[in-house]
Amino acid sequence: MPRMLLASQLARWLPPDPLRPEGAVQLDVGGDTVGAALESLFAIHPNLRGYVLDEHGGVRHHVAIFVDGRSIRRKDRLDDPLGADAEVHVLQALSGG
Amino acid sequence: MSDRLLVSTRKGLFVLERRGGAWAIARHAFPGDNVTLALHDPRDGAITAALDLGHFGAKLQRSTDGGASWTELAVPAYAEGDEVATGDGKPNAPASLKLVWSLEAGSPDQPGRLWAGTLPGGLFRSDDLGASWQLVRGLWDVPDRMAWFGGGYDTPGIHSICVDPRDPRVLRVAISTGGVWRSDDDGASWRQCAHGMRAAYMPPELAHEPNHQDVHRMVQCRASPQRLWVQHHNGVFRSDDGGTRWTEIEDVPPSVFGFAVAVHPRDPDRAWFVPAVKDERRIPVDARLVVTRTRDGGASFEQLDAGLPATPSYDLVYRHGLAIDASGDGLAFGSTTGGLWTSPDGGDHWQPLDARLPPVFAVAYA
Repeated sequence: MPRMLLASQLARWLPPDPLRPEGAVQLDVGGDTVGAALESLFAIHPNLRGYVLDEHGGVRHHVAIFVDGRSIRRKDRLDDPLGADAEVHVLQALSGG
Repeated sequence: MSDRLLVSTRKGLFVLERRGGAWAIARHAFPGDNVTLALHDPRDGAITAALDLGHFGAKLQRSTDGGASWTELAVPAYAEGDEVATGDGKPNAPASLKLVWSLEAGSPDQPGRLWAGTLPGGLFRSDDLGASWQLVRGLWDVPDRMAWFGGGYDTPGIHSICVDPRDPRVLRVAISTGGVWRSDDDGASWRQCAHGMRAAYMPPELAHEPNHQDVHRMVQCRASPQRLWVQHHNGVFRSDDGGTRWTEIEDVPPSVFGFAVAVHPRDPDRAWFVPAVKDERRIPVDARLVVTRTRDGGASFEQLDAGLPATPSYDLVYRHGLAIDASGDGLAFGSTTGGLWTSPDGGDHWQPLDARLPPVFAVAYA
């Protein structure tokens, strides 16, 4: 199953959970595209939708998503395929101060 | 007099409390995060904070325990097909929430009601304390919106919402740059009201066009709601008829330019401003930080600086950076360089907070 890693700057906005260690968060997500994997994430953590995506459903300007070390191709399409062992990193971009 | 202040800054929300005459930081919520403004809801004492997480977008959070813990609210959102247009030839673009730039509570008879004004210019209404928001289409769909401009930001924004103390269905909002709009039917329909304002930055034939007036901040006197005061891009304006006609106050030393204004809750003739050199410079006149006060409806002004720095000061106070409390005696203002001053006596004397804050965006009493 693809694995998603949320950078700590994003993970800190998850609802508080005493069982969850501080810092980056790792979770298994279903889906064979980036978009499907994100929907899988939002099913578990619905409040993150508005942090990762803008209201038009595209990845926010200053959020970056990498699949197996390579940036997704299009922030507005999210159709990059995911292999069964893919690693998806969701990060705060260094742009935007 | 109020003993609590909410100071929204580039690096978090500071709750200040006064103990024994001196103000001090009691709590620092959202450390490191950009807080645009905070609303104290007089109906239940809750604090609603608007955050601007540059990477993750605008967010709203609410606390019912004085800022110790917070619950995330829904944020206003634009729909597919909603477009931002500006009257200066920039191409239309899909609307998406850039900033929550004003927040107001409804009346006690409207227990769940909140209003949120935003960049890029939409007004939103909630009836469940922010669990959901609806775009007020009565204002969004006015044809004149296509001719609004940005003012301070690239797109138009609603920075002032006045809920009429006599009837909460009567609303007045001010827009940079789009004049003043009024609704008498809880937001279903709206009309432009900035008649009598003058835009010195427009071609002469358009200078009196209400839709092109860059109101920086608008406030309404609680006890005399027919009186409103505006700090505008090139002057001070006063309305005596509930915001339908405006009179320009021309002689405002040391400068007619500024962003903030506060009006006394009971005396409509008493208002405070924090002037700066117009209009692209925006620094205190002669590097001297002063607060100006009128007590006679703008016929004359005093420059108040007792307790303000005697040394050169380049503090600038943004439009939400000046507040007055419910007694009318307590005033506070914060600057973009992190200064924060309070007065217990209507501005006659000022005291600096014994701390250097991050850039201050908004100050509100709680």
